[in-house]
Parts: sequence; structure tokens; C-alpha cells
Amino acid sequence: MKKYLFAAGLVSLMSTTAMAETIGVSMARFDDNFLTVLRNGMVKQAEGMTDVTLQVEDATDDVAKQLDQINNFIASGVDAIVVNPVDTSATQAMSDAAAAANIPLVYVNRQPINVDTLPDNQAFVASNEVDSGTLETLEVCRLLVAEGKTDAHIYVMMGQLSNQAAVQRTADIHDVMASGNCGATLNIIDEQTANWSRDEAQNLMTNWLSTNTPFDAVIANNDEMALGAIQAMKAAGIDMATVIVGGVDATQDALVAMQAGDLDATVFQDAAGQGAGALDAALKLAKGEAVDQKVYIPFLLVTPDNVAEFLARN
Amino acid sequence: MTAAMAPRAQSRARPPELNIFLALVLITLVFELLNRWQGGSFLFNTRDNVPGLFNQARLQIIILQVSITGIIAIGVTQVIIIGGIDLSSGSIVGATAMISMSFAQVALVNGNPNPKAIFGPELMDLPVIVPILVGLACGIFAGLINGLLIAYTKIPPFIATLGMMVSARGVAKWWSNGNPISFPTDSFGALSNGDFLGWITFGALPGQGLNPVLLFIALAALFQLALTYTLYGKRCYAIGSNEEAARISGINVARHKVLVYAIAGSLAAFAALVLCSKNLTAQSGMGVMYELDAIAMAVIGGVSLSGGRGSIIGTVIGALIFGVIISGFTSIRLDAYYQEMVKGAIIVGAVVLDQWRQRRRALEG
Repeated sequence: MKKYLFAAGLVSLMSTTAMAETIGVSMARFDDNFLTVLRNGMVKQAEGMTDVTLQVEDATDDVAKQLDQINNFIASGVDAIVVNPVDTSATQAMSDAAAAANIPLVYVNRQPINVDTLPDNQAFVASNEVDSGTLETLEVCRLLVAEGKTDAHIYVMMGQLSNQAAVQRTADIHDVMASGNCGATLNIIDEQTANWSRDEAQNLMTNWLSTNTPFDAVIANNDEMALGAIQAMKAAGIDMATVIVGGVDATQDALVAMQAGDLDATVFQDAAGQGAGALDAALKLAKGEAVDQKVYIPFLLVTPDNVAEFLARN
Repeated sequence: MTAAMAPRAQSRARPPELNIFLALVLITLVFELLNRWQGGSFLFNTRDNVPGLFNQARLQIIILQVSITGIIAIGVTQVIIIGGIDLSSGSIVGATAMISMSFAQVALVNGNPNPKAIFGPELMDLPVIVPILVGLACGIFAGLINGLLIAYTKIPPFIATLGMMVSARGVAKWWSNGNPISFPTDSFGALSNGDFLGWITFGALPGQGLNPVLLFIALAALFQLALTYTLYGKRCYAIGSNEEAARISGINVARHKVLVYAIAGSLAAFAALVLCSKNLTAQSGMGVMYELDAIAMAVIGGVSLSGGRGSIIGTVIGALIFGVIISGFTSIRLDAYYQEMVKGAIIVGAVVLDQWRQRRRALEG
């Protein structure tokens, strides 16, 4: 037991160097494609700087664990903390803990519930969620109209219900439907959560397929779920040219699926850019410089026409 | 009651708890040395702008971060001592958190209606005792079902509590259709975040946010005394050592098992109340894997999975080892990838040690 600890300690010693600024990072989870791109964006940014050390922790989707990690960072006397919240409604306690210790805190990617009451040395870096679902839905609409399907039936796959992005992107779909900008009439056959997960989306889609209801499009809150839906449809022998599938995130997996003709629309959220932006904000706050409390990294629509541009970006 | 049924700790020259405590000291020392090597300190204060000899924030978080799982582990320890196992505690935490939190909500948030409201205004702004009683009732109910299934249908505890683990998680998700429940009353938030220590010592010892630790220590002390000095405790060890002998000697084994599982359920409910009060939110995913952490704490603390042996003190030290390891990893900036690998190795290592101890004892006769 002691040997293990010792060996592990040695490994970490060799990988750390003398540092000026230490930034503690608590990610909601490590085993998530998109968040991994974001995390690596942050790590890469830090590697390019000579005097910045990152300590990245995995909260394994556990709100309580995340709060403990923040308190551990405070105990270690880090210069700033970056949090990718497990749950956006549980951020008040985190803001309070960091504020009490007077350590700057930056939320990244997921909008905290207390975003409008953040203390001066706390900030939020993400993309404006309203854009993503709207861009995605409008593109699905455009494709449906182009195919002459003016009365379309769609399935909606939602992310984790406790998550603001899931709520917002789903609301965007309904807003586009209500706004009349769509051009086609969208009828939602069913709207269910697959918790951002490819595996759960695969099961959900298989369940939907087993009802034998004809449908024209699947709009998913993220790419992982869109890919899960695609895998389930392919397994059921459905020709992917006949179904329009939309996702959000433009992950590498999704772009490959788009090149293969399976995925029709996704929205590029600059994960690496968000990670780098969050680190920037954290470093500025640590030095006592002023930072905008809401930093928005723009969303871009990705279609088979421009997919090549994005392959190298995420 | 024969000597074989009493806690063995008393008959040994060096109680097993001492070994575990030495392990705790050793691990702490290793982290202190590794920190010194990096130019810092694990337990001691190295900053000029903070007063004190010790790093106060570190000492607090080491124990605070294991208090909630620790409370669960107190119940799990008793279940394991009677030769059972409880896989349901994490899910009971989830279900209890959701249900009790819905009775702890405020009607108005910053002057607007509560956006996460579960019930109408007539069930909001209730006195804090209501969510506490509701929560404990949920935990005891779930524990009773576990106990009754195990005692009277004779199905293995692993299966009975596995069923409860799945069902209770289902309840947690169904209760609010997966939505988190937030914005509790101030008095509910104060359960964990308040300053009880400061209040009872008239401000001499400020303990803002340390209530989970106090509750953990109080419950641990209570059940350590119960296991050591009461008939309840003697029966637990008797059943765990040899169930048939316990039955023949006149112990109502079935009734006692139900009692122990109900206690474990109520402790899981305590943990849930502290957890959602501390985080000011309840979520259906709360408590996932807590049952395994609690079992691991007990096992590291010398509680034998074959029953009849172990103590709450051991489990508390096991919990502290967990706390030191989690904080230690962060303090030496060990990559998160290595953290889980090492944590797993420590759990397995502890069981290997336990087996080895048992074999040696068997050889010694």
C-alpha cells in the first residue's frame, strides 16, 4: 500500500515543476468526449505558459464531491479555481466557498444558476446557449423544406434534465417551431432524455423504432446522442439518407459521421476555446485584473459543405 | 455469552484499530514528506497571510469530505458485523434527499416564486423539523423493507439490498421527473452550513459549516458505545460470529436483523439530509457509489466481510484514511487518472491484509 503511494507520488513529482501560478480545475466528468476536448484545451494552453501549473480533478458527476474538491483546492492555496459544474443549480455553495477564501473562481461551459449574482472575482465562460439549439433546428428545417417535407414528424432527444444547456436547447426547438421561421411544420412525436449519453440514446432510439412510427428527423441536444440514434437506426437497417439527424458540439466523432453522410447538421461549440478562455479569465482574476463576468465564445453551424474546416479544430 | 462472541479486540494484545491508526499516521506522514519535497506542507500552515500552526482549511476538508459517506459507513459497519451487506445505502441517500428536500423549499427566491417548486405554497417554508422527520421516515422505511426481506424470505442480503438499490434510485428519479430540487429554507441550509460548534461554545470554537463533522462524530460515538456496552451490540457480534449458535442461545435473530437494517437505513437518511443541506440542492443522482465507498471505509477499518468482527472506531479511521488520501492527492497534484488507480489498490490491499490477519489468527488458534 505504501509502495503504491510512494511510486504514485514520485510520478507526480517528476511531472511537476517550479510554479508561479497554480490553478485548480474541477471537471464534471472525465469520460465525456466534449468535456475532454475542453479540458485538453485548457491543459494545452497551460503547457504553453512557463509559470502556470494546472491541477485537474474529476468530479465523476457528483455535486458533493465537486464541492469537496473546491475546498481541497482552497486548502492547497491555489491562485484560482476553474469549475465545470456537475449541476448548474448547485453552484451557490461553490461560489460561497471560494468567496469566503477570497480565491477567484471561473465557471466554464455550464451556466451557473447564480450567474447574475456572482462576486467580482468570479466569472462565467461559455457559448451563448440560445444560439446552438436555434442554429441546429433552423438547419433541420431548411433540409426538410428542401426535401419538400412541409409537415414533418420528429423525435427530440434531450440532455440531462438538470442541465441548463439541455433545457435551453430543447426550448430553442420549441421557439423555432412557434416563431414561424422554420418553413415546415414540425410535429414532435416524442421528447425524451438520454442524459447526453450515446449508449442511452441508442437504447432510446431502439425503443422509438420498435413503435414503428414513421418519422423524418431526430433533433438531439448533443452529438453523442445523435450518434447513438444513428447507430440504432443503422442497426435497424434504416437508410440514413432518408432521415435528418441534428446534433450540437461538432465533436470529432460527429464530424466523421457527417462525412460518412450519417449526420446532417451539428453546431460547433469551441470546446478548446472555452477551456483556454476560462484559463485566461482565471489567470487574469488571480493577478487582480478585471474580467467580463460573462465571456461568450461563439457557436458556428456545421454542415457537410463546411465540415472540412472544423475537422482540425476540436 | 461466551468469549468467542464478544468483540475479539479485547482479547488481543494490540487491538486491530491500532494497526489501522498507524496506517493512517503513516499515510499522512508520506503526504507530508511529499509536500515538503515540493516545497509546501500537507498539514502545516506555510502561508504568511493566514494565522495558525496548522493548515486549518486542510484539516477541515479532510474530515468534512468523508463525514457524509462516514455516516452511511456507521450503518454499513453494523450490517457487515451481523454478516450482511447493504448495497442500497447510496440509493436510499438519493431517494431520501429528493423527498425530504421537497419539504424544505422556500416559496420565494429573490422575490420570485421558487423555480424548482415541487409542491404548492402551502407545503413551503415549513419548519425544519418536517423535512428531517420525512427524511428519517423514508430511510427507516427502506431499511425495514431490506431487513424484512432478508430476515423472513431468507434471500441473500446482497440480492435484497441490490433490489432496493435499483428501486430506490428509481424513486429518486421518479419523484420530480429527474429535475433537481433546489432553494431550501435558511434553517434547512443551516443544518450543515450553520455554526453549531460556535453556538454551544459561545463563539469560542467557530465551526461554520462543520456540522456534518459533528454529527458524524456524535453518531459514531453513539453506535460505538452501543456496540461495545449494550445487549444490542453483543447480539450483533453473536449473530455475525455464528448465526446458528446465536439462535440456539435464544436470540431472536430475525427481529434483530430487521432492527440493524432499519438503523442502517436511518443513518443513510441522516447522510442524505446533511448532504442536500450542505449542497443546497437535491438531485436524483446523489449518492451514486456511496454504498461502495462506505463498504470500503469499513473494510479498510478492519471490519470483516465474513461478519462478527470490526468496530465503529475502525470504520471512522478507515474514513479518515479515505479523507487523507483524497486531500493528499490534490495537495501533491497527482493526476486524477492515478488517483482512482491508487484508491482501488488501497481498498484491495486492505482486504488482502484483512484476509492475512484472519488466516494468521486461525493458525494461532
